Amino acid sequence: MSEASVIHDIGYQRYTGPRLGRGAVFGAMYVHGLRAAFGLGRSAKAKIFPWLVVGIVTLVAVILAAVRSQTGIVPLTYLGFADAMSWLIIFFAAIVAPELVSRDMRAGVLPLYFSRPLRAADYVGAKVAAMVTAIWALLAVPQFIMFLGAAFTTKNGMSDVWDELGDLLPGWGYSLLWALLFTGIGLLIASLTGKRAFAAGGIVAVFLMTTPVVGVLSILPSSDAQQLAGLASPMTLISGVGQWLIPTANSGMNVGNFGPVYAIEAVTLIAACLLLLLARYRRVAAL
Amino acid sequence: MSTVAWITARGLFGRRRALLLLPLPLLLVGLATLCRAYDVRPSDWGSPVIVGLGLAVVLPVVSLIVGTGVLGSEIDDGTIVHILTKPLPRRDIILAKLGVAVVVSALTSAVPLFIAGLLAESARTGAALAVAATVGALAYSALFLLLSLLTRRPVLLGLVYILVWEGLLGQFVSGTRVLSIQQYVITLADKISPTGLLESKVSLTVSIVMGAIFVVGCGLASIDRLRSFSMAGETS
Repeated sequence: MSEASVIHDIGYQRYTGPRLGRGAVFGAMYVHGLRAAFGLGRSAKAKIFPWLVVGIVTLVAVILAAVRSQTGIVPLTYLGFADAMSWLIIFFAAIVAPELVSRDMRAGVLPLYFSRPLRAADYVGAKVAAMVTAIWALLAVPQFIMFLGAAFTTKNGMSDVWDELGDLLPGWGYSLLWALLFTGIGLLIASLTGKRAFAAGGIVAVFLMTTPVVGVLSILPSSDAQQLAGLASPMTLISGVGQWLIPTANSGMNVGNFGPVYAIEAVTLIAACLLLLLARYRRVAAL
Repeated sequence: MSTVAWITARGLFGRRRALLLLPLPLLLVGLATLCRAYDVRPSDWGSPVIVGLGLAVVLPVVSLIVGTGVLGSEIDDGTIVHILTKPLPRRDIILAKLGVAVVVSALTSAVPLFIAGLLAESARTGAALAVAATVGALAYSALFLLLSLLTRRPVLLGLVYILVWEGLLGQFVSGTRVLSIQQYVITLADKISPTGLLESKVSLTVSIVMGAIFVVGCGLASIDRLRSFSMAGETS
């Protein structure tokens, strides 16, 4: 050590550009989540399952629109379309929810996210918004195809198109309800495990195991029990709400005078799932 | 071989996620008890509970979670390397894993099905359901074990099989029933103890032969696949 030690300037610089705040982080996570839901920006393997579901749903809508324009019969209304696609929505939720939240846990990046100016509410909000948009788009785009099919084969010009639009908008609102409930339940289950496989299995199990409960309750010898049976499963719960709000829906559900009960449970369930999600992300493990 | 089985069983039950296996069988027993308590006729509730919930949901979903878990989670973790580098024949590894998967899923699905059958009709029906569920667990486990070796997303593919192939197509397209394990299980239970609750749609010969083909074929394919197994990193 002949010379005195010196500190060399090796060129580290401070970042002096603009710093984007919480809003930008939220926006970036939302866009990323929405792209991840459909496998955009990922390998071809990640696109197979989401686009399989999208393909089937769109195909069904195209067939429905074609049948209607050729024969004039309406095989499925906009609300009935969402009900009929319920199995595929479950499957889609089981694909997307683990993709959005389980991957982050598995990769151990949650502490990195939360070392930014990002709060738990922002993280949960961005993920929920992305998944709601994805599921809503899954239903709304085919519904729009059905609308186009009906609008272009109308007989009485604009007045029929306006009538049709009056049918489409409640259908879109109904799809939003589906998206909210399935997002809440799906993300809540997926946020409990870092393994995508277990998360997907858990989501499907929850939705599948509630369906037979409805079947059993609806054969109990009590008309109240039969009318309340739909409360036991998320799918029939939403059908019940739709039946109450739009009595012409003909979903095959008999809700009697319990329509408000269905609506209250749906809102409570969505709110409870979101609150539990927030509670889940109050502390994250560093793995 | 027993060590591999021991490690697998500990991997399955050592964590909290083993509790995930509980709600499904409990729900099955609970619903059967509820219907029995309300004196609903078994011909009304037997089909939705035993077939709709028991044979169409509990048995395949439990087999799916367990069957893909025994090998799939080790592949995910990368710990499968430790077993593969030991001087063990691949056959022993697969047989040990398959054995654990079958025992676990058979226990979790056959016991509640036995109780449900007992409540619906008689102990004989319950026993028939339990035997058929055990056979079904064997076939499902072999299939899902093979899936976990063939693809990185075995659970999703298994769900496609359960939901789309057996659930949707099985109802409408009669040809797919020949390749549906659920139909073999129904036929087997119906033939052991004839009951009005179950409606078999394929013949007994078909279900026995095809069931055996499923088990042996998937088992052999898994062994063969594990022989030339290459570890891949996290993809997609």
